[in-house]
Amino acid sequence: MSILANRDTRAVIIGGVAGVNAARRMAQFDFLINRPLTVQAFVYPPEEGQQKEIYRGGELNNVTVYASLEKALDENPQINTALIYIGASRAFHSAKEALDARGIKLVTMITEGVPEKDAKRLRKYALEKGKIFNGPSSIGIMSAGECRLGVIGGEFKNLKLCNLYRSGSFGVITKSGGLSNEAMWLCAQNGNGITSAVAIGGDSYPGTDFVTYLQMFENDPETKAVVIVGEVGGTLEEEAADWFGAEKRRIKLIAAIGGTCQDVLPQGMKFGHAGAKEGKKGLGSARSKINALREAGALVPDTFGGLSKAIKQVYLELQATGVILPEPELDEKLLPELPPSVQEIMKQGEVIVEPLIRTTISDDRGEEPRYVGYAASELCEKGYGIEDVIGLLWNKKLPTKEESEIIKRIIMISADHGPAVSGAFGSIIAACAGIDLPQAVSAGMTMIGPRFGGAVTNAGKYFKYGVNEYPNDIPGFLNWMKQNVGPVPGIGHRVKSVKNPDKRVKYLVEYVKNQTTLHTPCLDYALEVEKITTSKKDNLILNVDGTIGCVLVDLDFPEYSLNGFFVLARTIGMIGHWIDQNNQNARLIRLYDYLINYAVKEEREVPVKK
Amino acid sequence: MAKILEGPAMKLFNKWGIPVPNYVVIMDPNRLEQLGEANKWLRESKLVVKAHEAIGGRFKLGLVKLGLNLDQALEAAKEMIGREIGTSVVRQVIVAEMLDHDEEYYVSIAGNRDGAELLLSHKGGVDIEENWDTVKRLFIPLDETPSIERITEAALEAGFVGEIAERVAKITSRLILCFDNEDAQSIEINPLVIRKSDMRFAALDAVMNVDWDARFRHADWDFKPVSEIGRPFTEAEQQIMDIDARIKGSVKLVEVPGGNIALLTAGGGASVFYSDAVVARGGSIANYAEYSGDPPDWAVEALTETICRLPNIKHIIVGGAIANFTDVKATFNGIINGFRESKSKGYLENVKIWVRRGGPNENQGLASMKKLQEEGFDIHVYDRSMPMTDIVDLALNS
Repeated sequence: MSILANRDTRAVIIGGVAGVNAARRMAQFDFLINRPLTVQAFVYPPEEGQQKEIYRGGELNNVTVYASLEKALDENPQINTALIYIGASRAFHSAKEALDARGIKLVTMITEGVPEKDAKRLRKYALEKGKIFNGPSSIGIMSAGECRLGVIGGEFKNLKLCNLYRSGSFGVITKSGGLSNEAMWLCAQNGNGITSAVAIGGDSYPGTDFVTYLQMFENDPETKAVVIVGEVGGTLEEEAADWFGAEKRRIKLIAAIGGTCQDVLPQGMKFGHAGAKEGKKGLGSARSKINALREAGALVPDTFGGLSKAIKQVYLELQATGVILPEPELDEKLLPELPPSVQEIMKQGEVIVEPLIRTTISDDRGEEPRYVGYAASELCEKGYGIEDVIGLLWNKKLPTKEESEIIKRIIMISADHGPAVSGAFGSIIAACAGIDLPQAVSAGMTMIGPRFGGAVTNAGKYFKYGVNEYPNDIPGFLNWMKQNVGPVPGIGHRVKSVKNPDKRVKYLVEYVKNQTTLHTPCLDYALEVEKITTSKKDNLILNVDGTIGCVLVDLDFPEYSLNGFFVLARTIGMIGHWIDQNNQNARLIRLYDYLINYAVKEEREVPVKK
Repeated sequence: MAKILEGPAMKLFNKWGIPVPNYVVIMDPNRLEQLGEANKWLRESKLVVKAHEAIGGRFKLGLVKLGLNLDQALEAAKEMIGREIGTSVVRQVIVAEMLDHDEEYYVSIAGNRDGAELLLSHKGGVDIEENWDTVKRLFIPLDETPSIERITEAALEAGFVGEIAERVAKITSRLILCFDNEDAQSIEINPLVIRKSDMRFAALDAVMNVDWDARFRHADWDFKPVSEIGRPFTEAEQQIMDIDARIKGSVKLVEVPGGNIALLTAGGGASVFYSDAVVARGGSIANYAEYSGDPPDWAVEALTETICRLPNIKHIIVGGAIANFTDVKATFNGIINGFRESKSKGYLENVKIWVRRGGPNENQGLASMKKLQEEGFDIHVYDRSMPMTDIVDLALNS
């Protein structure tokens, strides 16, 4: 048996992420004792309509989030309990609404920092309605073998260690949340565990007091003794003593009261709980509480450590007098284990999962990303640059100094080519239309293709083919190209020619050939090809795409990676154009009519549809 | 509980029509001269100057000066502002009119579970304790406002007569409004004075506590609560408070000079029992500390380092109950880092560390704590099977 919460309890949680976490913990308990899901609905307007995934063991449940309590209760009339997990400024309203709801009998609030007046009003309101308001600042309520409300009881393993899967003989009432768990553990270790445990919260004016719960335990035949953990401040413990001493009680009472150290601490010092504060003239002091409880016949050890012995003593007495009958120990091995997550099983090596993707370049599972094994910060520290990161991530090799210099220059000379070219122009049009940076830049990026910038890969690819298949036969190569491909990629320019050479090409060729020791079979081959093509037509020069493609092949980059250099380099330029247009607050572009040749039909009438 | 200074309390009284003497709060003494030109009462009344700070025993420290004229008040203000008392500095003074008066009364309201209690006495002033039998009590149920007639009746019963009883009742009813609407926890006016020649009343001195948790609904609360420990906060305490204000969960620290057993305990409830256990076994604590609500590890690390720096400590009690949701492994990582850092800075020499804890990831947390033995820490680690506060017994018997 139990008080407050049992197998019939069905709850709504009012609040956001903390409430969902609590629901998950509660579902673990539901799984342990094989009861239906306790939490049936959430109320949290910002997430209206969402469904939260709650696992009861391996069973996945989707619990709906409602915008209002009314709606939640309309669709889930079985709900009889509300848990308040919402912030202090809205907690009062939510709790009052829950107390107003017809089906709800119990409202328990975890929210901390609730104004005293709000708590006082809720307490009064609940009394008027004949309902229970528990908290604020309550970690929750646990009924062993029946129901868990809140995260009381901690992790799954602890639920078993504290015998919470079956009912014992001890009731627990505490102000502190942590100590409710500790007290449950003590009852399991030194006795036969608990019936129910209630954390009433450490605020000055808890909604429900020790006496109310003591009376409930007194009326619960399964509960034979109650452990209360109180502390300095207020008079709830004194009232408990009065209640206990007023007449002969069926239950035994064991108590621990915190705060006797008050005498030696700075006056008026604040303890962890809002209510833990001594009043004037020693009112509510720990000492006065301990004395009152002892006088009423309760067992009160000197320190909290003494609780173990006190519980054991009471347990043995109750056994000796036959109040608690010996029960066969339950074999814990019969209890279910939480289904482990895939990660956990994999760690133990008991399952093989076929990976979905495979990577060979980069790993972010440690403290920082590693590129082909090298820590990014270490590369920075040791003087490597962006060219080396490109080498690692695109080709899994650290370039030499010479190679890095070439890569750097390729990117530098390709970074931009003015606003008129397709890529930059595309980005500019997008920027002028008010499009954000990533989308505007990708608008320019979509221009990169066979006619603009996208020839690097093919140039590299075919010149490499030529080096391998037609080493000393350039006419043969050109013939093969003509039959199988068409114009040679990397050859030809719209405006540049032999007499008006592309400065970038000249510079790059001279740099690579004269200032480095790079072996350049592909570039040499392309230059030979150029000699023949320019003899046919002046503008069939080796263009910048072709030059870069050949150099990169000579640098041993995979041929399908070559366009990447243009894409990377030109991104710098396109971002620059986007920023530039935004700096100028450029207006929307529309083509002037005179820039368009309207080669259209005359105006005419739409015929009747056939 | 949040005690507020006189200035903000007077401002709230003014707002609710409770008579207060004329007053100004100043930071710059020279401002008083200009205020004197603007305000007749400063030139013509006797004045009182008080340090407007949370410093106990101001009178004895010479931080309250009575019966001054404007020039003397200026001198007093100059003398007080900038004075250092312990670790705190007087930054503000309050200059108020010293009302000549004929009688001193006592009015207070304090909240309780079912509402509040009003206390009235016509024998207020410094001797109120001796005249406690003259105090008339009136219970005010939650959300109810007693009628003027009812309060007048109480005033008559408290020994007030005739028109004075009516006027006191009127002031009291406003005080109740102020109490209710400002989320006050207690207001004590002592004395409430009367000058009979013109029937002028004024709350000459008042102590007010407001519910700091209710500040979200008081846009005009432009003050901060004052230290409640009877002394200004130390630098370390202030630092931990600043961290506390920023994080999920909480970390708390109060230093207790002279003690040699440091507490690094978890949970609002358990931490108190650890303090108790030390005191019950004849030990002396060097601090009260608490972390709870699954605080981030760096916050616990900062708390740990602060505690390791406490002077003359012999033991550190790393205690706690079996946590519900505070991750033992994560918070212990913070503590371990704090210990290592402190040791490398030369702290923790000849300090014994005693650990007892349970909760989420307890095995990993306790195991890594235990590993500190290999690094030369004098550390003793126990799990949930050790009764919670018994590590204090072990420490004191070692």
